[in-house]
Amino acid sequence: MIRIENLHKRFGDVRAVDGVSFGAADGQVTGLLGPNGAGKTTTLRMLYTLMLPDEGQILVDGIDAVVDPQGARFAIGVLPDQSGLYPRLTAREHIEYFGELQGVTGADLRGRTDHLLKMLDMTAIADRRVAGFSHGERTKTALARAIVHNPKNVLLDEPTNGLDVMSTRAVREIIRRLKEEGHTVLFSSHVMQEVSALCDTIVVIARGRIVGSGSPDDLRRQTGQENLEDAFVALSGLEADLSTVAQSAKVEGMPS
Amino acid sequence: MVRKELRDWSRDRRSIITVLISSLLAPGLIFFLFNSMANRQRSVEDVTIPVVGAANAPALVDWLRQQAGVTIADGPADPEEAVRTKREDVIVVIPQNFVKNFGASKPAQIRLIADSSSQNSRPKVQRVRGLLQRYNAEIGSLRLIARGISPAVATAVQIEDIEVSSSQQRAAQILGFIPLFVMISAFTGAMAISTDSTAGERERGSFEALLVNPAPRIAIAAGKWLAGSLTGMLTVLITAGLLFAMFKQLPLQDLGIRFRLGTPELIRTLSVVLPLCPLIVAIQMYVATFAKSFKEAQSYLSFLMMAQMVPGMMATMNTMPTQAWMYYVPWIGQQTLLTDVLGNKPISPVVFLIVGVVNMALAVAVLRGTSGLLQREKIIFGR
Repeated sequence: MIRIENLHKRFGDVRAVDGVSFGAADGQVTGLLGPNGAGKTTTLRMLYTLMLPDEGQILVDGIDAVVDPQGARFAIGVLPDQSGLYPRLTAREHIEYFGELQGVTGADLRGRTDHLLKMLDMTAIADRRVAGFSHGERTKTALARAIVHNPKNVLLDEPTNGLDVMSTRAVREIIRRLKEEGHTVLFSSHVMQEVSALCDTIVVIARGRIVGSGSPDDLRRQTGQENLEDAFVALSGLEADLSTVAQSAKVEGMPS
Repeated sequence: MVRKELRDWSRDRRSIITVLISSLLAPGLIFFLFNSMANRQRSVEDVTIPVVGAANAPALVDWLRQQAGVTIADGPADPEEAVRTKREDVIVVIPQNFVKNFGASKPAQIRLIADSSSQNSRPKVQRVRGLLQRYNAEIGSLRLIARGISPAVATAVQIEDIEVSSSQQRAAQILGFIPLFVMISAFTGAMAISTDSTAGERERGSFEALLVNPAPRIAIAAGKWLAGSLTGMLTVLITAGLLFAMFKQLPLQDLGIRFRLGTPELIRTLSVVLPLCPLIVAIQMYVATFAKSFKEAQSYLSFLMMAQMVPGMMATMNTMPTQAWMYYVPWIGQQTLLTDVLGNKPISPVVFLIVGVVNMALAVAVLRGTSGLLQREKIIFGR
């Protein structure tokens, strides 16, 4: 379970995260939905302890992530936006390496590795060097190595970024399986389709602030919109931005 | 962590080749140089002296012929031209009035025609001059004895000549570079892992994923550091081992080099340089962590390598008397110690111990610094 309270983060003059509070319930899939630059990645980075918040509290399964980052890390597995692999190692080696870094050893490690390889349909490529992997295969490797220690909470930062249709469906399937296994999944995205298909709860974030949260139905009801995309646009105030752009364009004499 | 870094490194064909080349380069170079010098020196042992006017001093010519390795040949008609155009290195010309002066116990002139600007002919010229002077001395003594005077009377001052011919000097200089070569091999051997495991991670974008794991930062830094130290030490072992093995093969006597380079010297050299490796790696990693890409790290490290060579070069140029404190400063200390080892100077083992401890302590301090860097957001996320 994840609980975030009044998170603030500033980069110079820019308020990337401006008072964000939300939670991810146990055994559920929560989506962090927002346009680019909304503060999704920054929030997640603070959650997975690589950035320090200026203000606010982060509780992962009750552990304060700022006070005890290492403890928090035991409870989470993360697939960051940028997850580089080591081209000269095989997929299995990646998983075993990170597994050891996560404190999993011996027979335990081997068992977990085999389980993950099977769950992610990677048995065919398990012992090949990752240098030749496709984007989808890389994502799967990066994800597998993140959860060797079987953490309760799994965080994914834009996991389907740049993936083709088949790989995207594969990731969706993986998220479903993770939920089935009882994990708490939190993933960020700006793709409506997968958010509406997978999430029990959606948290909408724009310009560093939470502008709405609830199930997909809740959000549609709140904004009175028929589909999620319109609800999202309404919530995030994008429409307002667009019309401002159009107005200033008129003033400058461009066709609107 | 150590295992992974080492495995990763060993898979990189490029880095293996670098280690091989850098460890073979120094010994190979030295071997080549020494051999060619020895050959040149050997060729001076057997010398053919062209003499013009040999008939004018048959006794001298006979005496010369009797000296080891000397052959007399007939000199050309234009001796000065011959030497100037380098047809001959040196020509002895005995003028016609030689016999007359010699017989009358007056100084009899011999012309020694040589080109002093030519480096190659210098050993030969010196050889010939040496021979002639010896003849001079012998005859002189004989004449004195014939007159009932002990030749010792004529030797007011006895000078003991320490012959340091040009090739010997060169040899000593090259040997002076050995410490430098060995330390460079320590540097280059570790460079691959130091850069790959820091700047390489940044470039590949794998730092985030790595640091999200619950392993403590210091363990991560230490793992990379150990792996780098191991490869550095391996390179040093290979380089030093090869160098010493090679010296056993070289005909050092031909160059008049008297020092011994055997197993005890090898062990001492290793105990001097090996503790330096962890420190080198720690510094390389610290610097490379700031780099945003592999190439950037390599340029920082090349700069670092030059910086490392400066104290070494300064030491060879200003031969300052070695003071005790100099041993304990990294790099300078190693340089000084190694020069002592190669010069067969006895060194107390306590010195080795302290040097080792100082280096390790510094290494750990720098390592802590690097581990601290891994906390900084700019380092993890900065592009």
